[in-house]
Amino acid sequence: MSVEQIEREFGRLRMNEDGTLGLRASVLNLVAVTDEESAGEVTRVVSKLAGRFPCRAIVMVSDPEEQTANLDIRVSAFCDARGGGGSQVCAEQVEVHAEGPPTRHLKSLAGPLLLPDLPVFLWYPGAFSVDSPEFSGMADLADRVVVNSAAASDHGAGLRELSGLTRDPEMPAVGDLQWVGLSPWRSLVAGLFDPPDRREELERIHRVEILHDPRGEARALLLAGWLASSLGWNPESVEENGGSREFTFAGPSGEVIVALDSGSQDASLRRVRLYGEELTFQVSRHRELSEAMSTVMRGDDLLGERTVHLGFFDQDVILGEELRFRGRDESYVGALRMVVEMLDL
Amino acid sequence: MTETQAVRQNILRDEERLPPVPDPGVMVIFGASGDLTARKLVPALYDLAAQRRLPMEFAVVGLSRTEMSHDDFRKKLREELDEQRAGSVSEDVWESFSKGIFYLPGDSKKPETYEELKGFLKKLDAERGTSGNRIFYLSSSPSLFPAIVERLGEAGMSREEDGGYSRLVIEKPFGRDLDSAKELNGDIRRYFREKQIYRIDHYLGKETVQNIMALRFSNGIFEPVWNQHYVDHVQITVAEDIGVGTRGAFYEEAGALRDIVQNHVMQVLCLTAMEPPVAFDADSLREEKVKVLKAVRPIPEDGVKETAVRGQYDGGWVFGEEVRGYREEGDVAPDSETETYVALKLLVDNWRWAGVPFYVRAGKRMPKKATEISIQFHKTPHTPFSGPDTEGLEPNVLVIRVQPEEGVSLKIGAKVPGSGFEVRSVNMDLLYGSAFLEEAPDAYQRLLLDLMLGDPTLFIRADEAEGAWSILQPVMDGWSRDAHAARYPAGTWGPEEAEELLGHDGREWRRP
Repeated sequence: MSVEQIEREFGRLRMNEDGTLGLRASVLNLVAVTDEESAGEVTRVVSKLAGRFPCRAIVMVSDPEEQTANLDIRVSAFCDARGGGGSQVCAEQVEVHAEGPPTRHLKSLAGPLLLPDLPVFLWYPGAFSVDSPEFSGMADLADRVVVNSAAASDHGAGLRELSGLTRDPEMPAVGDLQWVGLSPWRSLVAGLFDPPDRREELERIHRVEILHDPRGEARALLLAGWLASSLGWNPESVEENGGSREFTFAGPSGEVIVALDSGSQDASLRRVRLYGEELTFQVSRHRELSEAMSTVMRGDDLLGERTVHLGFFDQDVILGEELRFRGRDESYVGALRMVVEMLDL
Repeated sequence: MTETQAVRQNILRDEERLPPVPDPGVMVIFGASGDLTARKLVPALYDLAAQRRLPMEFAVVGLSRTEMSHDDFRKKLREELDEQRAGSVSEDVWESFSKGIFYLPGDSKKPETYEELKGFLKKLDAERGTSGNRIFYLSSSPSLFPAIVERLGEAGMSREEDGGYSRLVIEKPFGRDLDSAKELNGDIRRYFREKQIYRIDHYLGKETVQNIMALRFSNGIFEPVWNQHYVDHVQITVAEDIGVGTRGAFYEEAGALRDIVQNHVMQVLCLTAMEPPVAFDADSLREEKVKVLKAVRPIPEDGVKETAVRGQYDGGWVFGEEVRGYREEGDVAPDSETETYVALKLLVDNWRWAGVPFYVRAGKRMPKKATEISIQFHKTPHTPFSGPDTEGLEPNVLVIRVQPEEGVSLKIGAKVPGSGFEVRSVNMDLLYGSAFLEEAPDAYQRLLLDLMLGDPTLFIRADEAEGAWSILQPVMDGWSRDAHAARYPAGTWGPEEAEELLGHDGREWRRP
């Protein structure tokens, strides 16, 4: 199937019943690089995105292990109607199955299929490596690379690799779905210190406890890294004990301990607790429920509490949130670098 | 990071991805037993709370004459919320949010009510950490506004002390005419400074209305043609297919001019005609809107008939349904001359718009609901194509549709395929809905958040309200001398006189 044939097929898909061509509204290009095993799930996520981000999605399903060159291209369109009414939002999808030598030249396949004048998001849904044969070429096409730092089998190694990527001025900006999933938590933690009379406690935090399960390790590390980089804590030492790690930082007002405990039974990120001089702050959730509770305590006295939506964590929702962001996320870069410093202790 | 930096601002929130959250505070709602509180304000606040946009230390105090306990009030609000957000109300979130909802029965005219309120708010400051920040939301009958403001002032509650704020929210209508608007503004300003006053017209909170500014000021291609050199005239239509329904008594007092034209239509006129503001902030935006209102040519007393059309719907058919006339509606006088339709010809006397008429119309029981701005461009000065070939060609028209299907449509000339050079007009339609499927937040949600964050950009300034009244005052004076409203059958685009208003100028209304 040639580029012209693909474009003609898209034209046919948006043709009205009377033979006129429906106008196309698109806001971005999304290029996903995945393998045969995950292709179905990636396609499903992309189709669910159609409602929020009318786009040209190019799903590159790559199998470099095959010896024989083979290419299979499928074209489809996903439409979503608003409230069952007249207006529709449509996304176009090209699924490219590449085997053998073409997998090293994915750029030559994706490049001509991109819609002009629109940003290009390069998404790696699974484990990602800057050393993969196609990456540098694909990165040339992209305005932003979106990865999932928790997809790496070794979370620490994955985060180190990402940190290296953010330091390379030739590379596009990086987005991490773990960081997006952390946003509601960061918002709730920040909210604990919004009242002006509590901001002084930020200076006096001396202990932080983060409870997570093994799946939530990358997120927990990023949360710790964000707090440390935002509040000016310098990592000094670490002690490991089974599933828990205690990092010691030098903060502006003295020593700060950050304890990461991977013993959560029911949620990837279960609880974060911050101890100030007078007050204790906590954000927690039960299981994978969509609500979280924030509390502020003075000793045993409850000073304030609230329950809010933590948000939804389906992959299409998280990816959609990431696609709203275009620039370099300095908070993420700062957190990531701090995490690497912590891991290097 | 120094200590002062951390204390001055919450450094954890200092980034683009974490949206700002208002400071702690209390919203006191006067007239809290009314519909607005249960149907709009509290659902919007609940949504904000659920989305982590409210601080933990936030409370609502409802106040009205009806005897109710805190729990009765919460129960009433919850029932309405369940109706509006069927199946999507979280028990845990409501439980947490409703703990901050309280109710005080009281007569808003009596000073003792304010003493009680003051004590209650101090208690909330101590118990819920609301930090002395107050919002007084006047959702009661407009006739009570002056008394409430005076009592608040006398009780010292308009004063901003110890770094706390005191804000006053007034729902439209802002007066009944120019004199009453000035009087109301004068009454309020005896106790509140302009920066404390938030006049709310929910129309400005609509994403679709804000999109008028996005279209004009984020697209460089429109600005060069947005003036008298290229534009022949502008039409603004705010049409509703519904009648007055259960609002007969209110409508008898108000009429379409006060209900829709003075606020919604004038705001759309301002957003269409104003110069680009230097920034999207309260002063910059409102300055530009006020300049437009000042530039509108005053309607001469003896020119009302030639400039303004007053109409009232009779019975008729709207989309296959037979509907009764205005005079047969509930709480409407059988000989009422209240207008349900207004059409005006306005001229904006400034460099950009000199000689370009703005025809505006607003009405009930029109064939369909439609709000749109239509920019009609001049004809091409000369066409090289021969006469018969261009019979189907009309001037370019850019239509900004605000509702119901928000979008932009451009009418352009295009060649009909085939031999020869026949040119015809083609409408190119772009629905914003086909680019973004996300549900826009409710207008109140946006405005309440702005209010709590202290951003008055989307609220009406005193001189805006007075400026709009000032334009319409001659029309109201003229109509008070000759009250006759021209009849139009329900389901049509207004009375014959409205057609003549444009017909005199050799133009005609666009069919939305």
